[in-house]
Amino acid sequence: MQNITRIYALSKRNVILRYKNSIVGFLWGFFKPLLYLLIFIIVFSKISSVDNYALYATSGLVFWFFFANVTNQSIASIISSAGIIKSLNIPVIFFPLSEIISELFNLILMLAIFMIAMHWFGLVYSFKLLLIVPAVLLFSLFTLGLTLILCSLNVFFRDIGILWTTLQPALFYLTPIAYPESLITNHYSMVVKCNPIYYFIKLSRNIISEPTYPSGDLWIQCLVLAGVSFMLGYFIFNKLKNQFISSI
Amino acid sequence: MDPNSLISFDNVTVSFWQNNMGIHSIKDLITNRKNPFINKTILNNISFEVKRGECMGILGRNGSGKSTLLRTIAGLIVPQGGKMTINGTFAPILAIGAGLELELSGYENMRLLLSLYGKARKNTNAIQSIVDFSELSDEVLRMPAKRYSSGMLARLAFSISVANDADILIIDEVLAVGDQGFQQKCMEKIYQVKAEGKTILFVSHFPDDVVKICDTAILLENGVISHRGEARIICEQYKSLF
Repeated sequence: MQNITRIYALSKRNVILRYKNSIVGFLWGFFKPLLYLLIFIIVFSKISSVDNYALYATSGLVFWFFFANVTNQSIASIISSAGIIKSLNIPVIFFPLSEIISELFNLILMLAIFMIAMHWFGLVYSFKLLLIVPAVLLFSLFTLGLTLILCSLNVFFRDIGILWTTLQPALFYLTPIAYPESLITNHYSMVVKCNPIYYFIKLSRNIISEPTYPSGDLWIQCLVLAGVSFMLGYFIFNKLKNQFISSI
Repeated sequence: MDPNSLISFDNVTVSFWQNNMGIHSIKDLITNRKNPFINKTILNNISFEVKRGECMGILGRNGSGKSTLLRTIAGLIVPQGGKMTINGTFAPILAIGAGLELELSGYENMRLLLSLYGKARKNTNAIQSIVDFSELSDEVLRMPAKRYSSGMLARLAFSISVANDADILIIDEVLAVGDQGFQQKCMEKIYQVKAEGKTILFVSHFPDDVVKICDTAILLENGVISHRGEARIICEQYKSLF
């Protein structure tokens, strides 16, 4: 119970700090994907063969932004909390964890807004939409694992943070978010399939914008990816956490 | 172990990974394949005991391992060797501005640190007592902490830390920056905490303060305890170092 209060307090701090001195504040979480969506509609909708481009792009964008925000913000979470880590005895894992929780809150808000707005673009309400909950949980678990690896390595080698922000656009364009999957020729489909985020985006898109239910195979692929990522991340983080204080 | 003792260290060794990468790092990494980190020992075979209600001073030159020792006691650093037993709760370590988030206001910092410390978030009594003790005005407490002077930061940090009624109070050279009135007030508070039978660990470069507050003291030199005993004698030892 005490730990829940602590994680909550840290998450709240993250939200306050992020939008300090900004006019629209936490609404940026909503405006950022909206601006991207507008750009994509202008750039891509002519060449894409998707019937309902707005819905198609949004269902991918919302989740991509969750992923990008969590990794970008928590990569420095341990370094920037050096003052607290050096004076209070609280588990270090709370810092990346609180980042993911504040972003999850943001995602829920964003999903709620888009679910309402997208009705106008042809989103069909059904019980199938509830499948988004397990999909989000799996994606969060995957993201948490990756984040734990990135932020713990970043304590020792600050290059990781710089490298990650540089590589992120490549990862974005490697994932069929703005363009339809059918655009990828056979030659490159292998590359896209090596990208773990592809599966999670495909899963959530399947739930939101396609009439069929996601296949069992896809669920299993996501489950395995999330499990492996989380276990690997937790293992690496645990190995390194005792030495954090010497490098921050 | 003596049942009265609150903190007991038995041959505790603490070492850090030190980044060994210079400007030739990548070349070194490829050609020598040597470990990019070296293990640097900070504290070597530290043994001491602190009894309940005892005040112990920690003296030593800059870089002798005082802060590392305090962090080890507070459980922030896991020792590589030896046995460490602690039977009590801690207030956060008091160092200048420790744990304060500079972008947040004074009030926000209080609430954050109180809840990180495991107190109820809406603990108005605790907040009021912090405000009273710090003597900072409402206007100041609404400002982001980055605009505070170092004395004001010390006031805020000290006030938040003593608001936690923990068994062990750790003070790391915080009194030097406050003005005369606040230093006086801190000293009184420390005496009061001591009178309540709590344990204090006190790091200072002013031997006179250490003699006033502490019963016993240790002198750290290059990560080992070179002298240990009554505060007055250890302070003389410390003075003779220079």
